[in-house]
Amino acid sequence: MSDNVIFYFEVHQPKRLKIYRLNSINDKDDYFWHEKNREIFLRVADESYIKTTRILMENNINASFSISGTLMEQALEYNPKVIDAFSDYFRSGLGELIGETYYHSLASIFDKKEFIYQINEHKKLMKKIFNIEPKTFRNTELIYNDDISETVSSLGYKNIITEGTDSIINNYNPNYLYKSISGLNLLLRNYRLSDDISFRFSDHGWSEFPLTADKYASWIKRTPGDVINLFMDYETFGEHQRESTGIFEFLKYLPIEFRKNDIGFVKIDEASKFDNHGTVSVKDTISWADTDRNLNPWLGNQMQKEAFDKLVSLKDNKNKKLWRYLQTSDNLYYLSTGNPGDQEVHNYFNPYKTPYNACLLYMNILDDFDYNYHK
Amino acid sequence: MRVSVIGWELPPVFSGGLGVHTINIFSILNRMIDVTVYVPDVDGLYDKYPFNVKKIRFNTESLSEYSGTAGQTKNGEIENKPDENSYYKNSGIKNINFNNFNFKDFNEMIYYYNKGVVDCFDKNTDIIHCHDWITFSAGIELKKKYGIPLVITIHSTEIDRSGNFFPQKYIMDIEKEAIKIADKIIAVSDYTRNMIIDNYNADAKKIYVIYNGVNPNLIDSGYRDYSLHKNILYFGRVTTQKGPKFFLETAKKVVKYFPGVKFVVAGTGDLIYDMKKLAVESKIEDNVIFTGFVSLNDKIKYFRDTDVFVLPAVSEPFGISVIEAMSMGTPAIISNTTGVGEALYNVFKCDFYDTDLMAEYIIGLLKYKGLRETMGTNGQIEAKRFTWENAAIKTMYVYKSVFSGGDYER
Repeated sequence: MSDNVIFYFEVHQPKRLKIYRLNSINDKDDYFWHEKNREIFLRVADESYIKTTRILMENNINASFSISGTLMEQALEYNPKVIDAFSDYFRSGLGELIGETYYHSLASIFDKKEFIYQINEHKKLMKKIFNIEPKTFRNTELIYNDDISETVSSLGYKNIITEGTDSIINNYNPNYLYKSISGLNLLLRNYRLSDDISFRFSDHGWSEFPLTADKYASWIKRTPGDVINLFMDYETFGEHQRESTGIFEFLKYLPIEFRKNDIGFVKIDEASKFDNHGTVSVKDTISWADTDRNLNPWLGNQMQKEAFDKLVSLKDNKNKKLWRYLQTSDNLYYLSTGNPGDQEVHNYFNPYKTPYNACLLYMNILDDFDYNYHK
Repeated sequence: MRVSVIGWELPPVFSGGLGVHTINIFSILNRMIDVTVYVPDVDGLYDKYPFNVKKIRFNTESLSEYSGTAGQTKNGEIENKPDENSYYKNSGIKNINFNNFNFKDFNEMIYYYNKGVVDCFDKNTDIIHCHDWITFSAGIELKKKYGIPLVITIHSTEIDRSGNFFPQKYIMDIEKEAIKIADKIIAVSDYTRNMIIDNYNADAKKIYVIYNGVNPNLIDSGYRDYSLHKNILYFGRVTTQKGPKFFLETAKKVVKYFPGVKFVVAGTGDLIYDMKKLAVESKIEDNVIFTGFVSLNDKIKYFRDTDVFVLPAVSEPFGISVIEAMSMGTPAIISNTTGVGEALYNVFKCDFYDTDLMAEYIIGLLKYKGLRETMGTNGQIEAKRFTWENAAIKTMYVYKSVFSGGDYER
């Protein structure tokens, strides 16, 4: 019987790289696809970010957010109202802002110092824009292992979140509070109930379609545990699930149905009030992505490994900021060929049509970077 | 159900994909229905096939009946020699030897073959199934004569074969009539479906798209080595349709970047001398290898010993060679005007004339082993989806729809 729900939303947009042709190498050409980034940002800002944040405000829904640095830069450039909406929401006390890497990168798996640098850069930005110092941390796409939690703990964070993978939830019910090896409060995503909203909400082939707020509240209520961790992309609302699917009506009715069932919304930094149900150790790196829930979406095929090795080899360079943009995990995600079952999700997110085209432009840019900035 | 297939060639005597298609589809279908395949009686055919075969003898005795060919000049002489006809360009594979038939040209030979089929036809059948224009005349006449339903498969059109470069009106007229009169039409791709709707005014409602399969013994032919071979492959007839010129244009651009790379042109055809000349003029003759005739046995070796397979076809209805290359784990670059591309994800695609982009794809594949390996291994899995069993089952569905008019789902 669960009486609490945590909403956590990932708010991220990469600064997408443009289709960089071979003859652009050594041309000192700009790497970014400004038109595409602008087009996507403006659409998502209108249809998802601003609209959803207002609904959360108006309906007194608590939620925790991570907002990447690359998204903040685009918000400032293309539509600052997104930042205003978040500021209002955080000032209202309903929201929690949580930390991550500025570049939504994979730094955690290749260089601890770089990882810490990017966390601190993000922290500075959050302080500057929202005047908030996050107490909770979530790594890129919930990439997690014991070492990562150790690093995060050493930086003074209190809470961390990750995926409730099948191997973890075999032993630990994801609907309780745990401790990481490093002593942080650890929350595990309930992937089934999260994906019911983010993936299946508008799936007409799903036996539970259509998903209504009262039905969903009844599922939460009868699920054993203290707190259900609903972690998903913020774009679920209005972008992945379009307004026409009824996703916003669903969101508006959730607090009403939750009240009827005595279910409350909790922020991650309030989770310490729950009983600690033990320490969870995660040796192998996990994430919330794809069906494998590991690093495969970024490093699953040979072409991704080759690209990643090249990226890492460029560490000693004269343009760290630019190198860090190249680290944004999406750049490698676009090269993923995945399992056939995940390919549909990958294609949806891939602005370059195929992973092979994405590979060529990324390698061309890395070559250019190598030529111009590598020491 | 009895189906009479008007074919043209059967292994081991064949020049192109039609023979491969015929034996694969109908050996499977003959397990469900009675299949009789009509083919020209030529040297080299096997005695037995996994379906009934009627070998048609035909000759020139009644030459005076024959009229009308695009190659015929005003004074009645025929310009086209068999080798110049678009259906008879050297394939690099063993050709049907028609020399002892003494036909003036290929079109005339087709005329007599179709006449021979009509003369010997056993009308005790439920469906006539014709393959390409070379068999359409018989199908048209037999349908008119006996009222037997006609199914036609379009493997290629005259527009494809000529590279839309002076298509023969005589042939297009036969294609048009068959497309009009047929009860059902099978196209080998959406690309071909659109081609016959746009250029032959075909009724979209009676067209079914069925993809070809791939020879299963080409798949999993051992460990695929992705170390660099510095070898790029063109495999197919050297004709306008397949775009060999664009392969060489691309080669010139790649060689500037990778001087040691070899470009292998495997196969022959009417453009072979032009291409050899072009290689010399482009000063890349040291980088280009013309293999000439390639036997079926050598085919696997060519596909496996290359880093990239390239098909810059101007207009290719399907492109079995793409699937064959992929099924051996070889990365493929194909033109947007290659039909099978519409069903493929793990390939590079570009316009056949965009040799800048084609060169970039090749250079990328040469530079990055990870790219070769990922595209090759994923392509190999993707190629397995193209089976003759699927194609046969769908063909069976088309036969049934002739009588039931059922809806078709691909």
